[in-house]
Amino acid sequence: MKIPVLGIGVTKFGELWDYSPRVLVKQAVAEALNDARLKITDVDAIFVANMLSGILGNQENLGALFADELKSANKPAFKIEGACASGGLAIHNAVNSVLAGVYEKVLVLGIEKMTDHNPAEIAQALMSAGHDEERASGISFPGLYAILARAHMEKYGTKEEEMAAVAVKNHYHASLNPKAQFQTQLTIEQIMKSSCVADPLKLLDCSPVSDGAAAIIISNIKYQRSKTKRTVNIVASTVATDSLGLRGRKDLTTLKAAMVAGSKAYQQAKIKSSHIDVAEVHDCFTIAEILAMEDLGFFSKGKAARAITRGATKLGNGGLVVNPSGGLKACGHPVGATGIKQVCEIVTQLRNEAGERQVKGAKIGLAHNVGGSGAVAVVHILKN
Amino acid sequence: MLKNVGIIGFGSYIPYYRITIAEIAKVWRKNPLDIEKALGISEKAVVGFDEDTVTMATEAASNALLMASLPASRIQALYIGSESHPYAVNPSSTIVAEVLGVGRHYMAADLEFACKAGTAGVQMISGLLEAGIINYGLAIGADSSQAKPHDVLEYTAGAGAAAFLLGRNRKDFLVEIIDFASYSSDTPDFWRRDGIPYPTHAGRFTGEPAYFTHVQEAAQSLLKKTNLRPADFSYAVFHMPNAKFPCEVAKRLGFTCEQIEPSLVVRQIGNPYSASSLLGLNAVLEIAKPGQLIFLTSYGSGAGADSFILKTSKLLPGLRKKVPAISDWLKNKQYIDYPEYLKLTRKI
Amino acid sequence: MGSFAYAQDDKIIMISPVKIWRHQKKVTQLLGKKGKIISFTIIRVPPAGYETEAPYPVILAELETGERITAQLVYWQKENLKVGQKVEACYRRIRKPDSEGIIPYGIKFRPI
Repeated sequence: MKIPVLGIGVTKFGELWDYSPRVLVKQAVAEALNDARLKITDVDAIFVANMLSGILGNQENLGALFADELKSANKPAFKIEGACASGGLAIHNAVNSVLAGVYEKVLVLGIEKMTDHNPAEIAQALMSAGHDEERASGISFPGLYAILARAHMEKYGTKEEEMAAVAVKNHYHASLNPKAQFQTQLTIEQIMKSSCVADPLKLLDCSPVSDGAAAIIISNIKYQRSKTKRTVNIVASTVATDSLGLRGRKDLTTLKAAMVAGSKAYQQAKIKSSHIDVAEVHDCFTIAEILAMEDLGFFSKGKAARAITRGATKLGNGGLVVNPSGGLKACGHPVGATGIKQVCEIVTQLRNEAGERQVKGAKIGLAHNVGGSGAVAVVHILKN
Repeated sequence: MLKNVGIIGFGSYIPYYRITIAEIAKVWRKNPLDIEKALGISEKAVVGFDEDTVTMATEAASNALLMASLPASRIQALYIGSESHPYAVNPSSTIVAEVLGVGRHYMAADLEFACKAGTAGVQMISGLLEAGIINYGLAIGADSSQAKPHDVLEYTAGAGAAAFLLGRNRKDFLVEIIDFASYSSDTPDFWRRDGIPYPTHAGRFTGEPAYFTHVQEAAQSLLKKTNLRPADFSYAVFHMPNAKFPCEVAKRLGFTCEQIEPSLVVRQIGNPYSASSLLGLNAVLEIAKPGQLIFLTSYGSGAGADSFILKTSKLLPGLRKKVPAISDWLKNKQYIDYPEYLKLTRKI
Repeated sequence: MGSFAYAQDDKIIMISPVKIWRHQKKVTQLLGKKGKIISFTIIRVPPAGYETEAPYPVILAELETGERITAQLVYWQKENLKVGQKVEACYRRIRKPDSEGIIPYGIKFRPI
């Protein structure tokens, strides 16, 4: 496949008390339309990615809401939800609609407003991504990944300091990204000293609660030829699922959905994992990035943590760079927007417009977006 | 005299947490030794934050069924006596019956009579068995008692559950229930109004006119009816609001300290209200030899006393080993401090 | 657990009694079953409804039947929190009950 990206737009991520979801979406969409040199009425359909608007905000029917808000003049619109993978899933569905020939130019937007609510409410809302037995147990979302971390530590000897190294790297990257939630860097010591949230995960092992929006406009290749730009194409878009709850996983040291989606994506793009120059992966918790590195074939099982500690995947160290935006950990994680922001970051990198955080000569990029504790995974591969 | 009533399985449950009398006394700046001496208690059992009468009753009942190797579906009547049923309206007995797998064709009700609601259940099932209306019934006494901070009850209000599976087939009896007698009156020594979290008591009025009168009257009328004397019994068990009252009433009735000492679980768990005398009975059943007579009298404020005469059988020593004994529950403990106690009893 | 109803004054979520009722058979099946710990964590920042209970351990237990269950561990000492620890299913309140709703009971594990 070859699906051109016409335009991208990402808001600042963070605690944006002053901005409502409508305002954030309009900001991101305006940026994307401007980038694509299009008007909203040029778009044939709108896909909206979001997880918590219903549970936290009592608002559903987001397709219609944003079609209305953007004054799209009666365009078709849909909300796509898959917990934290909502963004990636919305892009996947948009890509399919273009491949099917139903729509020519499609706007995909992701939005999440989380900071209006208190931490206990948010923790409970995020658990809607899990299994009802997990909710009844009183486990939190960090707790689910803590169980995965424990299993990885038991099997491969992964250390807490090695997980912390992921956060240190991503905070460094975020310090070069003006839209990231956190601009300050962290040390291993700070992370190790931060308070425990769900053993062994500490506060600074966890991505924050964030607000933000991101938007991307894609089209079919036939349309792209008539309007040229610094082109980046989506060349693979895959989805895979695994058991909803951890109780159903065969192996707790891997997210099989990510492995399956990843290997299908490499097949679709006709490449190998070693061809990826830059990747945005789903580091909702530090352990999640380690799992991603192994699931996507960048490192063999049990080896990623040590490699990252030694500087692998960091900007400037040569080779694959992971999460140049700062990842979920440091750039922020407004749930519905994340999957779209990841693809936008890859597009920026492949257009050679990432400024201080540019991965030199990046030609092929990958975005990896996961929902729940690994129940669903979406992988996109892009080429310039 | 009954002919067709016996215990075919029994089970206990005592929660894990303990708080010492000294720890509570420290908070209110009282001399712990004085209190320990006055009450004869050194520590009491406290429920976990996720336990209540229903969860404890389930544990005790599971053990009783295990001892008897009886599938729960054979139970035809189930009564739970407590003064801390989780609901004012919604039977604990059906919640416990459902989780045990009792099935649907059974009768059930929740009972309340302060600390003697459990033995009231035993009497009711005994009637059904004696009349041949049912073959198997389960009587449970369970409580997670609450006490007002700084009240004297704070040192004694404990928690626990005791369950008795009763049958009518003599060849299954671990313990035969030979007879029982009760003494009841309207005596307001200790009560709790609906919606109010803590009970109120009438101080020293809870002694002579309440506990002692009812226990003595019920016991004496049963002894007279059956023509037995205290010396005929190997053990005696009395309701234990503290360790002093049962010792005193035993003496008055003509029982010795040796006869009642094995039953005095109150020293280590406090007073688990509806489970008090029944857990004392279980402690005795765990050491009794076949062919011994046991005298049991419960007491419930408000007020009433139920007296029983029991006789152990040859089957008892073998089958009682199948489930955790009182001594196991007593060993399995963790001490908590006063703030933790307040958290667990939901005061903070 | 679905069918929420927000009681604005209580700020507590009432759990659907029908959902609790449907779940009962499963609880009966699991009571008393033995297993071992596959992985675990200690929850220190709990979701809404579990605030007063934290910190508490949650384990992924594998029963002798092969089925895996996610549930809290109760009556635990530090040395019990390890992969391979033998556990047994017991009956407990699952959530702090609000003032008016049905009390949810379910399965937790204790070390044996």
